Amino acid sequence: MKVRVRLYATLVDLVPPSIRAQTPEMRAARPFELEVPEGSTLAHLIEQLALPRAEIKAIFVNGRVCPLDHLLQPGDEIGIFPPVGGG
Amino acid sequence: MTYEFERYTRQTLFTGIGQIGQERLARARVVLVGCGADGSAIADRLVRAGIGQLTIIDRDFVELNNLQRQVLFDEDDVVARLPKAVAAERKLHRVNSTVTVQGVVTDLNQENAEEMLSGADLVMDGTDNFATRYLINDVCVKHGIAWIYCGVVASYGMTMTIVPHQTPCLRCVFPEAPLPGSSPTCDTVGIVNPIVFTMAGIAVAEGIKYLVGSGELNHGIIYVDVWHNTFDVLESGVPRPDCPVCGQGRFEYLEMPYKGQIASLCGRDAVQVRLSEQPLDLTSVAERVRGSLQLVASNEYLICFRASECEVTLFRDGRAIIKGTDDPALARSLCCRYIGL
Repeated sequence: MKVRVRLYATLVDLVPPSIRAQTPEMRAARPFELEVPEGSTLAHLIEQLALPRAEIKAIFVNGRVCPLDHLLQPGDEIGIFPPVGGG
Repeated sequence: MTYEFERYTRQTLFTGIGQIGQERLARARVVLVGCGADGSAIADRLVRAGIGQLTIIDRDFVELNNLQRQVLFDEDDVVARLPKAVAAERKLHRVNSTVTVQGVVTDLNQENAEEMLSGADLVMDGTDNFATRYLINDVCVKHGIAWIYCGVVASYGMTMTIVPHQTPCLRCVFPEAPLPGSSPTCDTVGIVNPIVFTMAGIAVAEGIKYLVGSGELNHGIIYVDVWHNTFDVLESGVPRPDCPVCGQGRFEYLEMPYKGQIASLCGRDAVQVRLSEQPLDLTSVAERVRGSLQLVASNEYLICFRASECEVTLFRDGRAIIKGTDDPALARSLCCRYIGL
């Protein structure tokens, strides 16, 4: 099934190279489509994207904060955040 | 009411505020923690909008590289090496003398946080580090004070409005603070100034809406990236029952032992050392070091001198910031040698 994923802030730099190859540089901050196996959770998705768990502090699915064991549905829109530090 | 009617006509004309909203603002007491880029922009707008009292807590002094984005300061402040809290208080008094602005030159820590924040109607976040934000979150949830998180770096920023027990707190959404040094800061990856004013504007709008009691508050995260034109509003739901702070009433950041005697200021090539809980006699320290060291600056709030390859700024509230090293041991040894610990 397909879901849409968007990485935010510092995580933009971690968009997988295979996806980045299809995305012009300036649009790396845009959401991208990803094929995930049926029954995947957010934890599986993070593993599939090879994102460092320590840098992920909040995950939103369809605009709502969700835990790592959240079961993904086709068409889900997922936003993955670190917190933003400076000031 | 003691505020002048004419000053706020364009604001009271706006139906969301009106005369009643303006009177509510005039009665409000706000504490701003941190007066860098975000902090100065926030303070400027709150004071122009006519809040009653603003306390500004900041531990730092004005430097040339601040002027690109920190709107309350100018070249004279750099030359005078004024503490930011003092420079901000002076500037804001010229902007709106009807607001009671108090600048406090110190760092917010476990020892003073409850005293400094309790009694506020609203706390605004102008800090540049997570340790302080998680401390603010603990104190504000414990005392039922609304606070607005606002972080900016590079070209993006994030803000959350936290009304204790009504909306999720910082730890409901971000359960663990990033480790010190693990996330980028303005000193490591830089910042473009428009993001500061964008995020400070949103945070202040939230603050005004909260104080006035009208409009729609941000119930999640607002994220903006001005370089990629990203404008996102995300819902964070309700306070989490398993949140250590608002769900379980454990205030771990407030209750952790105060380790503030020495702290590396992340990404700044600087270390802060707390020398004393009592105010220091700066004149006598200046006299002592004058013979052997180059005194760079001195005013009624701080003295600054060069020692080895470092620049030591000693504040009247009992702290020193040692620039030119991130080694706490070296910072401590310079303090021992020249100031006496």
